[in-house]
Amino acid sequence: MNENQCVQQVLSGNTSAFAYFVETYQDMAITIAHRICGNMQDAEDVVQESYLKAYRNLHSFRSESKFSTWLYRIVYNTAITHTNTRMWMGSQETEIEHASELSENRLEINLEEMDRKEVVSDILQRMQKGDALLLTLYYMEDNPVKEIAKITGLNEPNVKVKLFRARKMFKELLAECYKMEDVGFS
Amino acid sequence: MNDNRKEQEEKIIRQMMQSEMKKAPENLQFRIMHHIETEKALTPKKKKPKKASDSLLREMGAIFGTMYAVLATMVIGAYLLQGKDFLLTPQFIGPVVLVASVFSLFWLMTRLEAFLKARKK
Repeated sequence: MNENQCVQQVLSGNTSAFAYFVETYQDMAITIAHRICGNMQDAEDVVQESYLKAYRNLHSFRSESKFSTWLYRIVYNTAITHTNTRMWMGSQETEIEHASELSENRLEINLEEMDRKEVVSDILQRMQKGDALLLTLYYMEDNPVKEIAKITGLNEPNVKVKLFRARKMFKELLAECYKMEDVGFS
Repeated sequence: MNDNRKEQEEKIIRQMMQSEMKKAPENLQFRIMHHIETEKALTPKKKKPKKASDSLLREMGAIFGTMYAVLATMVIGAYLLQGKDFLLTPQFIGPVVLVASVFSLFWLMTRLEAFLKARKK
């Protein structure tokens, strides 16, 4: 059964068919919500609220776009509203913010000493929320730039530029904080 | 050479990012589905609105059905009591027209009321 058939089933009254969408996308949804909210408790609430919104507005879902894109857009908007966060700051502001972070947190820890997951989590926390979210959407699910633009409401060239900067920032933080030159980031 | 390095970097970043995927708690799916089921159960089912044409026919049937039943009783009564010729006299046709007019007027009033209600809505 494909996703459109599943949507039709839910719309015709079979609510249990909606479980497919919850099961398939809940991990990515919670990752996006966590990236914006910053903690698991709020992320769970946001994901639950987002799925309810998706269920209530399923009739407005147009099958020409992917269900995941539509759902992640809801998660993104709900999380922003929930936390009242400003996601996209000016680039200059970001650089200043990171310059101070880098000087304060020059940790000389080797990757072998830390779990990879913790390293990535730590780096993403140091980055601006919007940049971390772009990297999450781009690398975790291999979303194309077009889909990321739909989710975040940014235009495609803007996503490309921000993604380039985010990638650069990620590599810099990795190299600066964890001495990652030996992994190919010299 | 440069492309290879770039590709390798992308591969490493991808691997690192994918290792950071959060796992939804076990009970989240249950919570969501439970909420949806409850909401569905609590939502009152929408009654199908009656078609306007249906109610119009039903009303017409009820009013004019009664009218024809009354007229038939009058015809049968007059025929049995006064004979066939009485049916063509003005003494009989007058009350028949009166009964038909009263029922028609009643039907017109019900239609007017329905129209005003619909307009108010």
